[in-house]
Amino acid sequence: MVENGDDLARIAESLREPVRIDPALDARVMAEIEALPRQPSRLDSRGHWLFRRRTFRLSPMGVLAMAAGLAALVLVAGRVGANRAEPPGAATGPPVEDQAAAGGPGQTTQFVFVAPDARSVSIVGDFNDWSFSATPLEQQPGDGLWWVTLSLPPGRYRYAFVVDGTRWRKDPNSPAAEDEFGRPNSVVTIGGP
Amino acid sequence: MMLRARFCLLATPFLTLMVMATRLDAQEPRLAGRLPGPVLQRIDSLLDAARRNGLPTEPLVDRALEGLAKGAAPDRIEPAVLRLSDELRLARTAFGDAATAAELMAGASAIRAGATTESLLRLRESRPDQPLTVPAGVLADLVAAGVDIQDGVTAVLAIVAAEDADYVAFRRNVERDIALGASPAAALGVRLRGMTEVLVPGDASVGVGSGGTRRKRKP
Repeated sequence: MVENGDDLARIAESLREPVRIDPALDARVMAEIEALPRQPSRLDSRGHWLFRRRTFRLSPMGVLAMAAGLAALVLVAGRVGANRAEPPGAATGPPVEDQAAAGGPGQTTQFVFVAPDARSVSIVGDFNDWSFSATPLEQQPGDGLWWVTLSLPPGRYRYAFVVDGTRWRKDPNSPAAEDEFGRPNSVVTIGGP
Repeated sequence: MMLRARFCLLATPFLTLMVMATRLDAQEPRLAGRLPGPVLQRIDSLLDAARRNGLPTEPLVDRALEGLAKGAAPDRIEPAVLRLSDELRLARTAFGDAATAAELMAGASAIRAGATTESLLRLRESRPDQPLTVPAGVLADLVAAGVDIQDGVTAVLAIVAAEDADYVAFRRNVERDIALGASPAAALGVRLRGMTEVLVPGDASVGVGSGGTRRKRKP
Protein backbone atom coordinates (compact mmCIF):
# COMPACT_ATOMS: atom_id res chain seq x y z
CA MET A 1 0.00 0.00 0.00
CA VAL A 2 1.23 3.40 -1.00
CA GLU A 3 0.37 6.39 1.13
CA ASN A 4 0.78 9.99 0.20
CA GLY A 5 2.85 12.58 2.05
CA ASP A 6 -0.06 14.08 4.06
CA ASP A 7 -0.92 10.76 5.59
CA LEU A 8 2.68 10.17 6.56
CA ALA A 9 2.91 13.60 8.10
CA ARG A 10 -0.19 12.96 10.24
CA ILE A 11 1.12 9.65 11.41
CA ALA A 12 4.47 11.18 12.28
CA GLU A 13 2.70 13.99 14.13
CA SER A 14 0.65 11.59 16.17
CA LEU A 15 3.73 9.54 17.05
CA ARG A 16 5.50 12.64 18.28
CA GLU A 17 2.83 13.30 20.86
CA PRO A 18 3.78 11.95 24.35
CA VAL A 19 1.93 8.86 25.46
CA ARG A 20 -0.30 9.59 28.41
CA ILE A 21 -0.17 6.80 31.05
CA ASP A 22 -2.69 6.47 33.79
CA PRO A 23 -0.90 7.36 37.07
CA ALA A 24 -2.73 4.48 38.79
CA LEU A 25 -1.33 1.93 36.33
CA ASP A 26 1.58 0.88 38.54
CA ALA A 27 -0.65 0.27 41.50
CA ARG A 28 -3.10 -1.75 39.41
CA VAL A 29 -0.32 -3.92 37.95
CA MET A 30 1.17 -4.62 41.35
CA ALA A 31 -2.23 -5.49 42.73
CA GLU A 32 -2.75 -7.96 39.88
CA ILE A 33 0.64 -9.54 40.55
CA GLU A 34 -0.07 -9.86 44.25
CA ALA A 35 -3.34 -11.53 43.42
CA LEU A 36 -1.67 -14.26 41.32
CA PRO A 37 -1.22 -17.68 43.07
CA ARG A 38 2.34 -18.11 44.43
CA GLN A 39 4.66 -20.54 42.71
CA PRO A 40 6.50 -22.64 45.29
CA SER A 41 10.24 -22.00 45.26
CA ARG A 42 12.80 -24.81 45.59
CA LEU A 43 13.41 -23.80 49.19
CA ASP A 44 9.69 -23.83 49.90
CA SER A 45 9.36 -27.27 48.41
CA ARG A 46 12.24 -28.54 50.59
CA GLY A 47 10.62 -27.04 53.65
CA HIS A 48 7.45 -28.71 52.67
CA TRP A 49 9.29 -32.01 52.51
CA LEU A 50 10.92 -31.37 55.85
CA PHE A 51 7.71 -30.46 57.57
CA ARG A 52 5.56 -33.07 55.95
CA ARG A 53 4.31 -35.50 58.54
CA ARG A 54 5.55 -39.03 58.18
CA THR A 55 4.89 -42.25 59.93
CA PHE A 56 7.75 -44.37 61.23
CA ARG A 57 7.37 -47.90 62.34
CA LEU A 58 9.62 -48.86 65.21
CA SER A 59 9.69 -51.95 67.33
CA PRO A 60 9.89 -51.50 71.11
CA MET A 61 13.42 -52.85 71.01
CA GLY A 62 14.31 -50.27 68.42
CA VAL A 63 12.98 -47.54 70.66
CA LEU A 64 15.00 -48.92 73.57
CA ALA A 65 18.14 -49.03 71.47
CA MET A 66 17.65 -45.44 70.38
CA ALA A 67 17.06 -44.34 73.97
CA ALA A 68 20.22 -46.15 75.03
CA GLY A 69 22.13 -44.47 72.25
CA LEU A 70 20.91 -41.03 73.24
CA ALA A 71 21.79 -41.71 76.87
CA ALA A 72 25.25 -42.81 75.81
CA LEU A 73 25.72 -39.66 73.77
CA VAL A 74 24.66 -37.51 76.72
CA LEU A 75 27.09 -39.38 78.96
CA VAL A 76 29.95 -38.98 76.51
CA ALA A 77 29.20 -35.28 76.09
CA GLY A 78 29.05 -34.89 79.86
CA ARG A 79 32.42 -36.58 80.32
CA VAL A 80 34.08 -34.50 77.67
CA GLY A 81 32.59 -31.33 79.13
CA ALA A 82 33.62 -32.26 82.63
CA ASN A 83 37.16 -33.02 81.54
CA ARG A 84 37.40 -29.67 79.79
CA ALA A 85 36.06 -27.93 82.91
CA GLU A 86 38.89 -29.33 84.96
CA PRO A 87 40.73 -26.39 86.52
CA PRO A 88 44.29 -25.77 85.34
CA GLY A 89 46.81 -27.71 87.29
CA ALA A 90 44.25 -30.21 88.48
CA ALA A 91 44.31 -32.58 85.56
CA THR A 92 46.10 -35.85 85.70
CA GLY A 93 49.26 -35.36 83.75
CA PRO A 94 52.98 -35.57 83.79
CA PRO A 95 54.91 -35.00 87.00
CA VAL A 96 55.12 -31.40 88.07
CA GLU A 97 58.83 -31.34 87.32
CA ASP A 98 57.97 -32.09 83.71
CA GLN A 99 55.32 -29.39 83.63
CA ALA A 100 57.75 -26.81 84.90
CA ALA A 101 60.39 -27.95 82.46
CA ALA A 102 57.84 -27.60 79.70
CA GLY A 103 57.50 -23.92 80.50
CA GLY A 104 54.60 -24.09 82.96
CA PRO A 105 54.54 -21.91 86.03
CA GLY A 106 56.80 -23.14 88.74
CA GLN A 107 58.74 -21.97 91.75
CA THR A 108 62.05 -23.48 92.59
CA THR A 109 62.00 -24.82 96.12
CA GLN A 110 64.86 -26.44 97.96
CA PHE A 111 64.22 -29.15 100.50
CA VAL A 112 66.97 -29.90 102.98
CA PHE A 113 67.12 -32.63 105.59
CA VAL A 114 69.84 -33.46 108.09
CA ALA A 115 70.44 -37.16 108.60
CA PRO A 116 74.10 -37.99 109.25
CA ASP A 117 73.51 -41.71 109.65
CA ALA A 118 71.13 -42.22 106.75
CA ARG A 119 72.01 -44.38 103.78
CA SER A 120 69.29 -42.84 101.66
CA VAL A 121 66.71 -40.10 101.96
CA SER A 122 63.83 -39.46 99.59
CA ILE A 123 61.01 -36.99 99.59
CA VAL A 124 57.45 -38.17 99.02
CA GLY A 125 54.45 -35.94 98.62
CA ASP A 126 51.58 -34.60 96.61
CA PHE A 127 54.03 -33.49 93.93
CA ASN A 128 55.35 -36.95 93.08
CA ASP A 129 52.41 -39.28 93.71
CA TRP A 130 53.94 -40.21 97.06
CA SER A 131 56.47 -42.35 95.27
CA PHE A 132 59.44 -43.56 97.33
CA SER A 133 61.68 -43.77 94.30
CA ALA A 134 60.67 -40.66 92.33
CA THR A 135 62.67 -38.01 94.19
CA PRO A 136 65.79 -39.15 96.05
CA LEU A 137 67.76 -36.47 97.89
CA GLU A 138 71.41 -35.84 97.15
CA GLN A 139 73.92 -36.11 99.95
CA GLN A 140 76.39 -33.35 100.74
CA PRO A 141 79.48 -35.48 101.43
CA GLY A 142 80.61 -35.54 105.04
CA ASP A 143 77.95 -33.25 106.48
CA GLY A 144 74.93 -35.47 106.74
CA LEU A 145 73.03 -32.92 104.72
CA TRP A 146 70.58 -34.17 102.12
CA TRP A 147 68.93 -31.90 99.64
CA VAL A 148 66.89 -31.65 96.49
CA THR A 149 65.55 -28.76 94.46
CA LEU A 150 62.13 -28.99 92.87
CA SER A 151 60.19 -26.67 90.63
CA LEU A 152 56.62 -26.65 91.89
CA PRO A 153 53.58 -24.95 90.39
CA PRO A 154 51.40 -22.85 92.73
CA GLY A 155 49.67 -25.04 95.25
CA ARG A 156 49.74 -26.50 98.70
CA TYR A 157 51.63 -29.75 98.99
CA ARG A 158 51.83 -32.25 101.81
CA TYR A 159 55.07 -34.16 101.99
CA ALA A 160 57.49 -36.04 104.18
CA PHE A 161 61.02 -37.40 104.11
CA VAL A 162 61.59 -41.13 104.12
CA VAL A 163 64.90 -42.22 105.55
CA ASP A 164 66.38 -45.53 104.43
CA GLY A 165 63.07 -46.41 102.81
CA THR A 166 61.31 -47.04 106.10
CA ARG A 167 61.48 -44.15 108.55
CA TRP A 168 59.07 -41.27 107.98
CA ARG A 169 60.23 -37.84 109.06
CA LYS A 170 58.61 -34.43 108.83
CA ASP A 171 60.54 -31.42 107.62
CA PRO A 172 61.64 -29.37 110.64
CA ASN A 173 61.93 -26.32 108.40
CA SER A 174 58.29 -26.33 107.30
CA PRO A 175 54.91 -26.16 109.00
CA ALA A 176 53.43 -29.43 110.12
CA ALA A 177 50.37 -30.68 108.32
CA GLU A 178 47.48 -32.64 109.71
CA ASP A 179 47.84 -36.36 109.18
CA GLU A 180 45.14 -38.96 108.88
CA PHE A 181 47.29 -42.00 108.37
CA GLY A 182 49.57 -42.09 111.38
CA ARG A 183 52.75 -40.68 109.84
CA PRO A 184 54.26 -37.21 110.15
CA ASN A 185 53.59 -34.65 107.43
CA SER A 186 54.90 -31.27 106.48
CA VAL A 187 53.37 -28.80 104.09
CA VAL A 188 54.69 -26.27 101.65
CA THR A 189 52.62 -23.55 100.00
CA ILE A 190 53.71 -22.17 96.67
CA GLY A 191 52.19 -18.80 95.88
CA GLY A 192 50.53 -17.83 92.67
CA PRO A 193 47.13 -18.11 91.07
CA MET B 1 15.43 -63.81 62.06
CA MET B 2 15.45 -60.60 60.03
CA LEU B 3 14.06 -58.70 63.01
CA ARG B 4 16.85 -59.97 65.23
CA ALA B 5 19.51 -59.04 62.71
CA ARG B 6 18.02 -55.59 62.31
CA PHE B 7 17.91 -55.12 66.07
CA CYS B 8 21.54 -56.17 66.39
CA LEU B 9 22.48 -53.76 63.63
CA LEU B 10 20.65 -50.95 65.39
CA ALA B 11 21.75 -51.73 68.92
CA THR B 12 25.42 -52.41 68.33
CA PRO B 13 26.57 -48.82 67.82
CA PHE B 14 24.56 -47.60 70.77
CA LEU B 15 25.83 -50.35 73.03
CA THR B 16 29.34 -49.57 71.89
CA LEU B 17 28.82 -45.95 72.81
CA MET B 18 27.49 -46.98 76.20
CA VAL B 19 30.53 -49.15 76.83
CA MET B 20 32.76 -46.26 75.76
CA ALA B 21 30.96 -43.96 78.16
CA THR B 22 31.47 -46.47 80.94
CA ARG B 23 35.13 -46.75 80.09
CA LEU B 24 35.48 -42.97 80.29
CA ASP B 25 34.37 -43.37 83.89
CA ALA B 26 37.17 -45.88 84.35
CA GLN B 27 39.31 -46.31 87.39
CA GLU B 28 42.04 -43.86 88.25
CA PRO B 29 45.10 -45.70 86.89
CA ARG B 30 47.34 -44.76 89.80
CA LEU B 31 44.95 -46.40 92.23
CA ALA B 32 43.87 -49.35 90.13
CA GLY B 33 44.90 -52.65 91.66
CA ARG B 34 46.12 -51.01 94.85
CA LEU B 35 42.80 -50.84 96.67
CA PRO B 36 40.04 -53.42 97.11
CA GLY B 37 37.47 -53.29 94.31
CA PRO B 38 34.53 -51.82 96.24
CA VAL B 39 36.69 -49.11 97.86
CA LEU B 40 38.23 -48.27 94.52
CA GLN B 41 34.80 -48.07 92.96
CA ARG B 42 33.58 -45.67 95.62
CA ILE B 43 36.66 -43.48 95.31
CA ASP B 44 36.24 -43.45 91.54
CA SER B 45 32.66 -42.33 92.05
CA LEU B 46 33.93 -39.54 94.29
CA LEU B 47 36.41 -38.48 91.65
CA ASP B 48 33.70 -38.57 89.03
CA ALA B 49 31.40 -36.43 91.18
CA ALA B 50 34.20 -33.96 91.84
CA ARG B 51 34.93 -33.74 88.12
CA ARG B 52 31.27 -33.10 87.37
CA ASN B 53 31.17 -30.35 89.99
CA GLY B 54 34.25 -28.65 88.64
CA LEU B 55 36.41 -29.56 91.63
CA PRO B 56 40.02 -30.61 91.17
CA THR B 57 40.48 -34.36 91.37
CA GLU B 58 44.25 -34.40 91.70
CA PRO B 59 44.25 -33.56 95.44
CA LEU B 60 41.80 -36.41 96.01
CA VAL B 61 43.99 -38.87 94.17
CA ASP B 62 46.99 -37.53 96.08
CA ARG B 63 45.23 -38.13 99.37
CA ALA B 64 44.52 -41.73 98.44
CA LEU B 65 48.11 -42.19 97.26
CA GLU B 66 49.34 -40.74 100.54
CA GLY B 67 47.29 -43.29 102.45
CA LEU B 68 48.64 -46.09 100.31
CA ALA B 69 52.23 -44.91 100.70
CA LYS B 70 51.77 -44.81 104.46
CA GLY B 71 50.31 -48.28 104.52
CA ALA B 72 46.92 -47.14 105.80
CA ALA B 73 43.98 -49.51 105.71
CA PRO B 74 41.53 -48.92 102.85
CA ASP B 75 38.78 -48.12 105.34
CA ARG B 76 40.84 -45.13 106.48
CA ILE B 77 41.73 -43.97 103.00
CA GLU B 78 38.19 -43.69 101.70
CA PRO B 79 36.92 -41.38 104.49
CA ALA B 80 40.02 -39.24 104.12
CA VAL B 81 39.31 -38.75 100.43
CA LEU B 82 35.64 -38.07 101.14
CA ARG B 83 36.49 -35.51 103.81
CA LEU B 84 38.90 -33.68 101.54
CA SER B 85 36.26 -33.66 98.82
CA ASP B 86 33.83 -31.98 101.20
CA GLU B 87 36.45 -29.44 102.23
CA LEU B 88 37.25 -28.61 98.62
CA ARG B 89 33.55 -28.11 97.98
CA LEU B 90 33.26 -25.72 100.94
CA ALA B 91 36.35 -23.83 99.80
CA ARG B 92 34.85 -23.46 96.35
CA THR B 93 31.63 -22.16 97.91
CA ALA B 94 33.68 -19.44 99.60
CA PHE B 95 36.20 -18.66 96.87
CA GLY B 96 33.86 -18.95 93.91
CA ASP B 97 33.82 -20.91 90.70
CA ALA B 98 36.84 -19.10 89.33
CA ALA B 99 39.09 -20.32 92.15
CA THR B 100 42.11 -22.29 91.05
CA ALA B 101 42.97 -25.78 92.25
CA ALA B 102 45.80 -24.29 94.32
CA GLU B 103 43.44 -21.84 96.02
CA LEU B 104 40.88 -24.54 96.68
CA MET B 105 43.49 -26.81 98.22
CA ALA B 106 44.72 -24.02 100.49
CA GLY B 107 41.12 -23.14 101.32
CA ALA B 108 40.42 -26.77 102.16
CA SER B 109 43.37 -26.73 104.56
CA ALA B 110 41.98 -23.61 106.21
CA ILE B 111 38.58 -25.26 106.51
CA ARG B 112 40.27 -28.28 108.07
CA ALA B 113 42.00 -25.96 110.52
CA GLY B 114 38.63 -24.61 111.62
CA ALA B 115 38.01 -21.61 109.37
CA THR B 116 34.42 -21.06 108.36
CA THR B 117 33.24 -20.51 104.81
CA GLU B 118 32.17 -17.03 105.90
CA SER B 119 35.70 -16.11 106.95
CA LEU B 120 37.09 -17.44 103.66
CA LEU B 121 34.43 -15.51 101.81
CA ARG B 122 35.59 -12.35 103.58
CA LEU B 123 39.12 -13.16 102.51
CA ARG B 124 37.93 -13.51 98.92
CA GLU B 125 36.08 -10.21 99.09
CA SER B 126 39.09 -8.49 100.63
CA ARG B 127 41.42 -9.72 97.90
CA PRO B 128 39.16 -9.90 94.86
CA ASP B 129 41.95 -9.80 92.29
CA GLN B 130 44.78 -11.49 94.13
CA PRO B 131 45.49 -15.18 94.59
CA LEU B 132 44.35 -16.63 97.89
CA THR B 133 46.61 -19.66 97.98
CA VAL B 134 49.20 -18.21 100.33
CA PRO B 135 46.89 -16.29 102.72
CA ALA B 136 44.63 -19.32 103.14
CA GLY B 137 47.63 -21.62 103.51
CA VAL B 138 49.21 -19.31 106.08
CA LEU B 139 45.98 -19.34 108.06
CA ALA B 140 46.08 -23.14 108.20
CA ASP B 141 49.78 -23.06 109.14
CA LEU B 142 49.21 -20.58 111.95
CA VAL B 143 46.52 -22.78 113.45
CA ALA B 144 48.82 -25.78 113.15
CA ALA B 145 51.41 -23.78 115.10
CA GLY B 146 48.94 -23.28 117.94
CA VAL B 147 47.27 -19.99 117.03
CA ASP B 148 43.58 -19.77 117.82
CA ILE B 149 41.54 -20.02 114.63
CA GLN B 150 39.63 -16.79 115.24
CA ASP B 151 42.82 -14.87 115.95
CA GLY B 152 44.36 -16.39 112.85
CA VAL B 153 41.43 -15.37 110.67
CA THR B 154 41.53 -11.87 112.09
CA ALA B 155 45.26 -11.57 111.46
CA VAL B 156 45.09 -12.84 107.91
CA LEU B 157 42.24 -10.48 107.13
CA ALA B 158 44.04 -7.58 108.79
CA ILE B 159 46.93 -7.73 106.36
CA VAL B 160 45.08 -8.39 103.11
CA ALA B 161 47.18 -5.68 101.48
CA ALA B 162 50.27 -7.79 102.06
CA GLU B 163 51.95 -9.72 99.29
CA ASP B 164 52.53 -13.45 99.33
CA ALA B 165 56.10 -13.07 100.54
CA ASP B 166 54.91 -10.89 103.42
CA TYR B 167 52.41 -13.53 104.46
CA VAL B 168 55.11 -16.19 104.42
CA ALA B 169 57.49 -14.02 106.41
CA PHE B 170 54.74 -13.24 108.89
CA ARG B 171 54.00 -16.93 109.37
CA ARG B 172 57.66 -17.81 109.77
CA ASN B 173 58.17 -15.12 112.39
CA VAL B 174 55.16 -16.21 114.40
CA GLU B 175 56.28 -19.85 114.26
CA ARG B 176 59.80 -18.93 115.30
CA ASP B 177 58.55 -16.90 118.26
CA ILE B 178 56.34 -19.77 119.36
CA ALA B 179 59.21 -22.23 119.00
CA LEU B 180 61.32 -19.96 121.21
CA GLY B 181 58.71 -20.03 123.93
CA ALA B 182 56.26 -17.21 123.23
CA SER B 183 52.58 -17.89 123.54
CA PRO B 184 50.82 -18.17 120.16
CA ALA B 185 48.55 -15.21 120.97
CA ALA B 186 51.46 -12.98 121.99
CA ALA B 187 53.57 -13.99 119.00
CA LEU B 188 50.69 -13.31 116.66
CA GLY B 189 49.87 -9.94 118.21
CA VAL B 190 53.44 -8.64 118.18
CA ARG B 191 54.19 -9.82 114.65
CA LEU B 192 50.89 -8.42 113.43
CA ARG B 193 51.75 -4.99 114.80
CA GLY B 194 55.12 -5.18 113.09
CA MET B 195 53.48 -6.25 109.87
CA THR B 196 51.09 -3.35 109.80
CA GLU B 197 54.02 -0.94 110.09
CA VAL B 198 55.36 -2.35 106.84
CA LEU B 199 52.12 -1.40 105.16
CA VAL B 200 50.99 2.15 104.50
CA PRO B 201 49.92 3.66 107.80
CA GLY B 202 46.48 5.06 108.34
CA ASP B 203 44.74 2.11 109.89
CA ALA B 204 45.95 2.25 113.44
CA SER B 205 43.17 -0.05 114.51
CA VAL B 206 44.76 -3.01 112.78
CA GLY B 207 45.33 -5.75 115.26
CA VAL B 208 43.59 -8.80 116.56
CA GLY B 209 39.92 -8.06 116.35
CA SER B 210 40.09 -5.53 113.53
CA GLY B 211 38.95 -6.06 110.01
CA GLY B 212 41.75 -4.45 108.03
CA THR B 213 41.64 -2.75 104.67
CA ARG B 214 43.35 -3.04 101.31
CA ARG B 215 46.35 -0.78 101.14
CA LYS B 216 49.39 -0.37 99.01
CA ARG B 217 52.80 -1.04 100.42
CA LYS B 218 55.11 1.76 101.34
CA PRO B 219 57.34 2.73 98.43
